[in-house]
Amino acid sequence: MSSAQESQSNPTAELNSAIEGFLASPGDPSAFKRLSGVVKKSIEAGRFDEAADVIRLAALPSLDYTSVQQLNRLFLRCRGRCAASAHRVRLAVLSSFTSTQLVEMIELFLFAAGVDLELYEAEFGVFRQEILDPDSELYRFNPKAVFIATTWRDLTQVPGMDESIQSIGQRVAGEQAQWSALWQTVHERLGCQVLQNNFDRPAWGALGNHEMRHAASMGRFIAQVNQSFQTSAPPYVTIHDLDELSAVVGRSVWNDERFFHHAKLPCAPECLVEYAHSVASLLLAQSGLSKKCLVLDLDNTLWGGVIGDDGLGGIRLGQGDPEGEAFLSFQRYVLKLRQRGVILAVCSKNTDSIAREAFEKHPEMVLKLSDISCFIANWNDKAANIRSIAQQLNIGLNSLVFVDDNPAERAIIRQLVPEVAVPEVSTDPLDFINALEQRRYFQVVGLGKEDLQRTEMYLANAERQAIETSTENLGEFLKSLQMVATVGPISEFTLERSAQLINKSNQFNLTTIRRSTAEVLALSKDPGWITRTVSLADRFGDNGLISVLLARIDGDALEIDTWLMSCRVLKRNVEHLLLNLVCEATADRGLRIVRGRYVPTAKNALVKDHYPSLGFTLVKAGMQGECTYELELAGRIPFETFIDLKEHS
Amino acid sequence: MSDTRTELQSIFHSVFGEDDLVLKDEITAKDIDGWDSMMTINLMIAIEKRFKVKFAAAELANIKAEGQNIGTLVALIDKKAAGQR
Repeated sequence: MSSAQESQSNPTAELNSAIEGFLASPGDPSAFKRLSGVVKKSIEAGRFDEAADVIRLAALPSLDYTSVQQLNRLFLRCRGRCAASAHRVRLAVLSSFTSTQLVEMIELFLFAAGVDLELYEAEFGVFRQEILDPDSELYRFNPKAVFIATTWRDLTQVPGMDESIQSIGQRVAGEQAQWSALWQTVHERLGCQVLQNNFDRPAWGALGNHEMRHAASMGRFIAQVNQSFQTSAPPYVTIHDLDELSAVVGRSVWNDERFFHHAKLPCAPECLVEYAHSVASLLLAQSGLSKKCLVLDLDNTLWGGVIGDDGLGGIRLGQGDPEGEAFLSFQRYVLKLRQRGVILAVCSKNTDSIAREAFEKHPEMVLKLSDISCFIANWNDKAANIRSIAQQLNIGLNSLVFVDDNPAERAIIRQLVPEVAVPEVSTDPLDFINALEQRRYFQVVGLGKEDLQRTEMYLANAERQAIETSTENLGEFLKSLQMVATVGPISEFTLERSAQLINKSNQFNLTTIRRSTAEVLALSKDPGWITRTVSLADRFGDNGLISVLLARIDGDALEIDTWLMSCRVLKRNVEHLLLNLVCEATADRGLRIVRGRYVPTAKNALVKDHYPSLGFTLVKAGMQGECTYELELAGRIPFETFIDLKEHS
Repeated sequence: MSDTRTELQSIFHSVFGEDDLVLKDEITAKDIDGWDSMMTINLMIAIEKRFKVKFAAAELANIKAEGQNIGTLVALIDKKAAGQR
């Protein structure tokens, strides 16, 4: 009685304890039962947002099939009743198997990441017809992304054992041509992104150990087609590596043909959970929602022991000791992430100088201070420190992943900064790697030069800030940066990065219109549009492509549809330079006016006065703060900038 | 025998999301709301996991057939569990 009263008076405490209990042992049926019990209670009391928050935390790829089904039922009771997510994905699923369960789970994982799904799911087995028939439901639905969900059973060119190598080569090319034709048709008609499974291998291989050596075997044929997919897929196609997924799970577990024969399920039902999580992670990455930054604790996370107590010689890190080697492995893994563009930050309860000393002086440290873009070691609470990290790096809290061996710190961050992803980990550093891999936080759909240089750019930014404060005259400062800009229309080289920025820039973004790579490609080729990108280098390094502008010709005006810029290069006159060049292009086309719009969002107050500050005049103030501005070209004097122009076409 | 049925009942609760469901031997698939072919799959997966048994493709197809009920399902589980021990 008293405990019931207690939990009634403090439902938040009951919720939090159920969540922590579940996260600590997600495989324990009683912990899951308790969790689903409190969610049910929230739903029955009409607290749908609260229920939704718990469902988001509980939707993990490590859940078993039955638990995910239960969680999904709870989700369906909240859907439409809880607050709408910040993002939406409009997806068509065309599959050669029963996709019901897979798609339900994809929707659940997207929801967990803050994305609502708008779905069209075709009947199974008719994917070719849906794509080829211009009047099909697919085209009426007009999705932004199409997932072609296939299995190895959809291969049509499997060779016979007695065929020559030449003939098999033709079969691989023929298989590729069929799929390429489908991709191209979808893309031409919808301008959307295509998500295509490659082919998983059946559990059997008739040739045993010789399978991959014999040119005509099933395994070898699948490997060749998969290789061909990876090298031939155009930028508007993302290959979902189903073969790799099945290998990671284990082919003998992945393949359970009973369920294909019984219900046309593509793999063992338990594996659908991982499958759905993998697909969802790609859809998130395409929407620019992959995580950007890994925030690390130090003591017992990057090394064994406490540096402040044990000292440089006392911490366990390095060869010769299993624990020290395990921490080395984790550091090496983290370094690999950094090298491909994940930003690293440190958030530790320590004395700053002592914490830094470990990086500077410990001979076995793999990570260097220069790898860490934001280093915070103090005795303040970690929630405040993590907020400060996001602020200093100028990225959203929902871009952060926090790894800490201390369960109390993890629980605090989950409660006080729920936007931050906090994987549950054991005290084993090797488990940190597993947890990060399993959650697919940093999923990639393409890797550009900018990704590889990102950490340097964030570091150089910190140095630039140091100079800025020491230079009194802004013009002198800008000159001292020796900036060089490369400006031009969107080209095949700048397409992917442009689309990436269009999909993730929030702050310096006048209209926040999102477009897929395919749509951007189409605009860049349209004579009715003018597109420009700006890349900026300075004496500290190359910032890469940092600004995109898309504008449409409308009568005698050029209407700027999209103008965005990376906040790394704020107050560098880049917008002045770009406007000068846009005005030139406008005049060249015989147009009279440049028109721009500001559409307010929760995040773009930064550019509220962008157009007035550039000399535009307000011509229309619409509902909800949307403003339209115009600039007459006649008599305009170009801005002075301190940026050299390298190329301009 | 009755232990299996109690365990099975808790599986039914999880799979159907109905905590008041009481299993009796004579209950058939028709008597339980929402027991369609998908639910059969969901049940089989949960049963295989809990009892560490594996149904043959033919047994999967037979669960909802004429003449089958909770009693026959319990007997099948017991037989398979004994055989695999």
